Amino acid sequence: MTTPVHARRAIAWPLAILAAGAALSIPPLRSLIEQSMAWHMLIQMPLLVLGGWLSMRCLAALRPVGTLERWNRYGLTGFIAAQAILAFWMLPLSIDRAVVLPWFDLLKIASLFACGAMLRHSFERSPALIQVFFVGYAVSMMLSLGAYFATTDLRLCNAYSLESQMVSGQGLAILAMLLGVLWLVGTIRAAQASWRRFC
Amino acid sequence: MDRISSPPPEPAPSTDGLAQTFAASLVALLLGLAAVFYATDHGHAFTTESLRRSEISRQPAPIPKFQVVDASGARADLREWVSASKRTWIVDFVYTRCQTVCSSLGSVYQQLQEQVRTRGLTKDVGLLTISFDPARDGPTALAAYARRMQMDLGIWTIVSLESAGDRRRLLEAFGIMVIPAPLGEFEHNAALHIVDRSGRLVRIMDYDAPAAALDFARSLK
Repeated sequence: MTTPVHARRAIAWPLAILAAGAALSIPPLRSLIEQSMAWHMLIQMPLLVLGGWLSMRCLAALRPVGTLERWNRYGLTGFIAAQAILAFWMLPLSIDRAVVLPWFDLLKIASLFACGAMLRHSFERSPALIQVFFVGYAVSMMLSLGAYFATTDLRLCNAYSLESQMVSGQGLAILAMLLGVLWLVGTIRAAQASWRRFC
Repeated sequence: MDRISSPPPEPAPSTDGLAQTFAASLVALLLGLAAVFYATDHGHAFTTESLRRSEISRQPAPIPKFQVVDASGARADLREWVSASKRTWIVDFVYTRCQTVCSSLGSVYQQLQEQVRTRGLTKDVGLLTISFDPARDGPTALAAYARRMQMDLGIWTIVSLESAGDRRRLLEAFGIMVIPAPLGEFEHNAALHIVDRSGRLVRIMDYDAPAAALDFARSLK
């Protein structure tokens, strides 16, 4: 059993990360994501996904979430939904709308939080063979879009300068590679651990 | 951080619920595709710029009422002025201090002015530059810009908003997004906006293909 201190800590971290992500949508911090595409795509969006991911541990204890199990065997549903959400928020016009329309920004916060939570739910019940499809697809999408943002002369977002777009493109590509490596290392470690259990 | 992956649950997960999972996955897939399809105007537009262009060509929008002021200080309602002129207008947006994209727009407009003159289209097509910086671009600044650009006022007109409070409405009506840039400059999307004789915005075209814009504007009667 977790002690109350542990329990408090287990809730405090996800809440803090989420609050940081959401705070970037509220003045005065909002000016950061309004002026810089990198703050929007590389800091706020990942914070929201991470907040969802970390929250899943607490959410999993709730009874309604427990019954979701049978709707997400092998993590299939979660992976597909998360992929759709990620793709949606990488469209330049979605990014623009989130800057201009408050209700769209709220949709962004809610959906990226859900994306993070679903991802954890899915990763915890899927074999590496299924994970590799999701990770491969998501990483290659982020890499190619990042490379495109970084190299094109077209201003893709009306809300951001070309320079801001190039910086975020480079950052997005680096983030994609980091996440790919992180998954690979995690998977290899898990495989080694289960191998040791057998021997 | 937690490990991203953990080994598959042991013993192997029961296949109970697999049908539900497939159904839910299918729903997630369809909803995801529908959201992207809807947001991108059926897969046609991935940027705000292409979205506003395809929306306008499908459904032309009347320009709202604005009081504008020209380089001589004369005032008029923009839409009434367009209808009274009996010409199709190619409209662009600048601020006169601009050193970057507006300069290329300026030279595009100089070429257009030359073509309107040589092809004898003066009665059919007019060129209109609208300043979105009413605070700084009064009649004096407009007149200076007109001189600098060697504008032939019979073909090419520049106006500014009479009231600075109309700025946001103007930018929204034409789908222009202006963002502050270093050194007091602005960065903004640039295009050629075709406004027909009845004062409707009917097409938004690339500013690096002015000939196509001129042909299109001429074809509107």
